[in-house]
Amino acid sequence: MTRRTRRVLVTLAIGLPLLAALPWIASPVVVQFGINMLIMATLAQGWNIIGGYTGYSSFGNSVFFGLGAYGVGIAMAQFEQPFWIGLGLGLLLAVIFALAIGLPVLRLKGHYFAIATLGLAEVVTAIVSNVPIAGQNVGLVLPLLKSDVLFYELSLGLLLLATLTVFWLSRSRFGLGLIAIRENEEAAAVMGVNTTRYKILAFMLSAALTSLAGGVYAYYITFIDPAGAFDISLNVKMIIMAVFGGPGTVLGPVAGALLLSVLSEVLASKVTNIAGLFFGLVIIVAVVLMPRGLADLLQKFRRSGWRYFAQNIRSHRL
Amino acid sequence: MLLAQVLLNGLLLGGLYALMALGLALVWGVLNIVNLSHGAFIMLGAYATYFLFAKAHLDPFLALPFAALALFMLGYAVQRGILNLVIRGPMFNTLLITFGLEVVITFLAQFFFSADFRTINPGYAGTNFDVGGLTIPRIQLMAFAIAIGLTLGLWAFLLHSRPGRSIRAVSQNLLAAQLYGIEPRRIYAITFGLGTAMAGVAGGLYGTVSQINPYIGTALTAKSFVIAIIGGLDNPLGVIVGGLFLGLAESLTALYIGPTYTDVASFGILVLVLIVKPTGLLGRTA
Repeated sequence: MTRRTRRVLVTLAIGLPLLAALPWIASPVVVQFGINMLIMATLAQGWNIIGGYTGYSSFGNSVFFGLGAYGVGIAMAQFEQPFWIGLGLGLLLAVIFALAIGLPVLRLKGHYFAIATLGLAEVVTAIVSNVPIAGQNVGLVLPLLKSDVLFYELSLGLLLLATLTVFWLSRSRFGLGLIAIRENEEAAAVMGVNTTRYKILAFMLSAALTSLAGGVYAYYITFIDPAGAFDISLNVKMIIMAVFGGPGTVLGPVAGALLLSVLSEVLASKVTNIAGLFFGLVIIVAVVLMPRGLADLLQKFRRSGWRYFAQNIRSHRL
Repeated sequence: MLLAQVLLNGLLLGGLYALMALGLALVWGVLNIVNLSHGAFIMLGAYATYFLFAKAHLDPFLALPFAALALFMLGYAVQRGILNLVIRGPMFNTLLITFGLEVVITFLAQFFFSADFRTINPGYAGTNFDVGGLTIPRIQLMAFAIAIGLTLGLWAFLLHSRPGRSIRAVSQNLLAAQLYGIEPRRIYAITFGLGTAMAGVAGGLYGTVSQINPYIGTALTAKSFVIAIIGGLDNPLGVIVGGLFLGLAESLTALYIGPTYTDVASFGILVLVLIVKPTGLLGRTA
């Protein structure tokens, strides 16, 4: 067992029971905050697969989230099916969508991929706003289930699933193939990685996890509309959390999501009117001082101390 | 006749669109920064023009040079003080940092200017010409002329002036440009400043034809992307083609399919162009 494996397992062994026990010791407000935080962490982890490991910065993950939410919404509100069916429907929609758009879009590199997925997100939002079965612009109202504890544990389970998936990725042949694609796609292809298949599978995996989070979230808030379900700023948040924590690491995105959620929650309650400003400033400062995220900071800070920040600036400035 | 009027409106709108995207395309093409805060700079330009008009009682079209100058200085400072620090890092980081900038600028605008809708309404707003049965709104026509003129002006500047040549030199080969004595930090800042100055003028013109508030930036950034992608990044004339194309596509979609489908059309075009020819309709083949 390597040191990294041990670290992941120890974190899980300590963190998981603590997190799971939270609804029984904390106030309802904290539990509701916890649900949001866990969903965000799941989304950051889902983005980590395509953005962090494969190096394709997707702005289409909010589409997967929205499709997951609409799967549950349509199944429950329009056809009175149980939640699980809706979750499956959303999963199916998202994975098929990832497969269908992955083929043309994953050929694009860098900024072009990011903007193509951004464009797709806009197209899907606009289409859903015009589809009658999805409630058009008005949205869908889902049956109410007042059990925050259930939603909390469900979200925790999802985050665990996502993290274990990424943990498996980090050790598997498939995951190494994705890292190879991120580092140098031509070289990866030369070494025998089927880059097209690997990228599409990574996209589908990312879509699956993200859509599940969308489904749970839809049932939890009991109302979905196109603007909320396909919100692009949600996609930006996933990216920021993953990048802040450390993209391409197992625990980084989770740590980034937990830390930034707590930070923005505390700020929103203490200094309501400047919380928005602070969020923007954190992004700017973090990109300048620690462009490789918390994971890299923790690793290198011990060796270089405060010089770590200066080194980052020196190596990236003009 | 209705079709002709719709086409004309689309073209006039398209000229303004071209100017909106010009700065984004310039910064993207030269600095390889996809500036997510571009729309926020357009918004600031609109407010600068608005305040010069409402408080200093300046004609909005005379206020444009001042708005451009203010936005140039702001853009220069942002590139010099912040973006130059991360520009050699992973490409994704510049995307994130400009998003952070957008959040900060939008917040400050809302804090200082309030979230109220504003309009720039000079006395001649709403006056029209009639040409052969077609109605030409006067302000839209002036905005169109300025937008096209500035785009052509920038093209000439890049081709023939000394700073323009330096900008093209650093975009073609940074190292070689440095060997020839070009100071890239300054040229990068000038380029970004030019981009935000163009955004500032576009914002001022946008304010004369449409309502403004601190949150208009995001949607305008998205539109600018579409235009820059359609036109390609190789030369400023591309954005004219992209802008007119988008203006026409939006107007025709609104007429024949329905106003709620304009976003499907414009972003659908974006995705299709990216998939079929990522260097833009006019761009070099990859």
